[in-house]
Amino acid sequence: MGRLDLLSGNRAVAYGAKLSRVQVVSAYPITPQTPIVEYLADFIARGELDAEYIHPEGEHSAIAAAVAAAVAGARAFTATCSQGLGYGFEVIAQAPAYRAPLVMAVANRTLGWYWSVAADYSDSMTTRDLGWIQLYVESCQECLDGVIQLYKIIEDERVLLPGMICLDGFHLSHSSEPVDIPDQREVDDYLPPRKLYRHTTDPTESEGYVFPVIPTRLHTTYRRLFEGVMQRAKEVIREATREFSERFGRGAYGLLEEYRTDGAEALLVTMGSMSTAARRAVDRLRNRGVRVGLLRVRFFRPFPSEELTKIVEKGGIRAVGIVDRAVSHGTSMGPLGTEVASVLYAMKDRPNIVNFIAGMGGDDVSVSDFEGMVSKLMNTLNKDGVRETVFIEHRVPLAKPSVTFKDVTYCPGSQLCSGCGAALAVRHVLRILGKNSVIVFPPNCVSAAVAMHFPSNWVGVPCVLANYAAAAAYARGLQRAYKYRGKKVYVTVIAGDGCTADIGLQSLSSAAECGEPIIWINYDNEAYMNTGIQRSGTTPAKAWTTTTPVGPRWRGKKELPKDMVSVMIAHKVPYIATASPAFLRDFEVKLRKAMEVVEKGEGLAYIHVQTPCPTGWRFHESKTVEVARLAVLTGMWPLIEVDHGVFRLTVKLPKLRPVAEYIRLQGRFRHLSDEDVAEIQELTNKNWKKLLDLDGKPLW
Amino acid sequence: MEAKEDYPEILTIPVKEIGSEPVAHWRVMKPVIKYDLCRKCWVCVHFCPEGVISESEEGPVIDYRFCKGCGVCANECPAKAIEMVREV
Repeated sequence: MGRLDLLSGNRAVAYGAKLSRVQVVSAYPITPQTPIVEYLADFIARGELDAEYIHPEGEHSAIAAAVAAAVAGARAFTATCSQGLGYGFEVIAQAPAYRAPLVMAVANRTLGWYWSVAADYSDSMTTRDLGWIQLYVESCQECLDGVIQLYKIIEDERVLLPGMICLDGFHLSHSSEPVDIPDQREVDDYLPPRKLYRHTTDPTESEGYVFPVIPTRLHTTYRRLFEGVMQRAKEVIREATREFSERFGRGAYGLLEEYRTDGAEALLVTMGSMSTAARRAVDRLRNRGVRVGLLRVRFFRPFPSEELTKIVEKGGIRAVGIVDRAVSHGTSMGPLGTEVASVLYAMKDRPNIVNFIAGMGGDDVSVSDFEGMVSKLMNTLNKDGVRETVFIEHRVPLAKPSVTFKDVTYCPGSQLCSGCGAALAVRHVLRILGKNSVIVFPPNCVSAAVAMHFPSNWVGVPCVLANYAAAAAYARGLQRAYKYRGKKVYVTVIAGDGCTADIGLQSLSSAAECGEPIIWINYDNEAYMNTGIQRSGTTPAKAWTTTTPVGPRWRGKKELPKDMVSVMIAHKVPYIATASPAFLRDFEVKLRKAMEVVEKGEGLAYIHVQTPCPTGWRFHESKTVEVARLAVLTGMWPLIEVDHGVFRLTVKLPKLRPVAEYIRLQGRFRHLSDEDVAEIQELTNKNWKKLLDLDGKPLW
Repeated sequence: MEAKEDYPEILTIPVKEIGSEPVAHWRVMKPVIKYDLCRKCWVCVHFCPEGVISESEEGPVIDYRFCKGCGVCANECPAKAIEMVREV
């Protein structure tokens, strides 16, 4: 017997992965998936799970590393959603060809278009044709069970495909329900250890390997073979879910779930968490004598055509209402709608079809919404050949802000945390840049705060929301357009450390090397603060973050931070500087130099400003400037510039304050011993000496 | 569902006139300026993360509609002329 605990969907997925004894975890933070990989990091740090943990620089790499781990014979796990899924798309497309099983959790969130961090299936639906097994779950219990079931299914030699478990962002990922956590022994009995296959890439023992390229003339043939595998997988899913239900005493799991379909004239077809509300609506309506039933599609791929046909054919169903949390624009239908319609086409007496598009971008779909849908469906019963689409809308007014400001580059009232170091830095950046500027915002705390301000903004210049890995490219495009059109505009990227040092580095490097005259402000809060304090490339050594937790096995981040200033020096851009919000005059001088450099078209100007984060660094919100100042005065955040190749310490200190004064103010370093602090002191002294030697010298 | 379209097809964020909702309800502690101690160095004006303190002849003036109560001003004030007073 297991134990009952209150778990969120994300935590339940993490438990599912832990109980499945995953061996390699590779993932990148993205809302609302992040807690899954935070919990897994925590399990590993505490010694509860023996697994390798990879911290890649973005989803493209995160998913690739997980695929490769599966190719090399490990039970691999990754998690993502939305923009991250989009960024990893080519890897996701390639994964099935390796015939290497891995599980990817997708905490569904709308993709692209207008952004939202909440659920719809526009992310995972883009991958529906790629050959992944796709499971959409309804409850937190199913989040846990689904991961274990998926490993059982995909590791079966009749399948050997990647599998995706899709849970609605926030509705499931962040909602808690009582969940039965099975015993490890019970799970071990159900799920045997990951096998090596004949094609597992392992030079020490395998017979061969998969190299996913075939000649043109064989593509159609292999597509047919592959489709055969997908169809064969249905039988494996039926077996594996039946066995799971029997062993763990759960209700019927299968390719789809039937609810009160006996004697139904109308049928709702749903997926995911909204099915719970649909179930309640069916109960209510049945009590009133309305003959309606529900089908919940669990596995969207392979699609349960046989089960669906059987239920509709068994009698009496004359109208089917398919509720889609996605739209296939240009068809006026959703993907589930088109799928169901295509299955029903083979029937002699086809029922009427109404496709409801609901819950987009996380919009709630309530019991009364479902009652309304059923009533629409019942109204078609006296007609033939109905096929229509209805959007279930909840209209809200576009409110105007209650306090307005004219001709400013900044106004107060953002949703940034109280005492935010980035807020302080960014408002000065906007003040100095003036109205003739455009801000390119990759995702970060500041741009999230811009997004939350809809339908106004607290930034008084146009902002462009850039995709995370392409912020520099957005800036290049803007700058070239203004140049071509003869306009003088400061194109400025306000990026965080994650964008600068990790996911956006490739794009930044290219723009730097090509001499694009743009200003890059790296506001460095030394972790992914927007998604909730995950390790970044610039997180200092030994610092606690949610993906470098402190436990018996881990003691914060093991590695030294990436030295972005040196990276930019290697690019020989005309202006490079570090800055601090505690030294505003120094900051202003540097930003004005950067503006001059780009105005002359000399190339990229890079300013790296450290912005202490009370939330993530764990210090009192009133200490932001004090912490920033101590970073400089202890030599842990030296203020330097490299002006056309000449290095200069802009704040030269006669004597450094002990680093302990800076470190001991912050909770993220609470676990550090005196020896740890001494080690940091030594490194700081060494670095400071190096900077003193360089002062005033040309670097190239 | 047949309601008339009261949403513009292309949503445009204004840039000439921007605006906000007050965030005063975030505050737990309220900064109160003791004008008799103030030396008008304007450190608080520069370091306020929200930019809600402005200069006046009398001394700094806080726009309490947008003050989140972080206390950076009080922490930085060299004259200790800002007191954080519990509000809730």
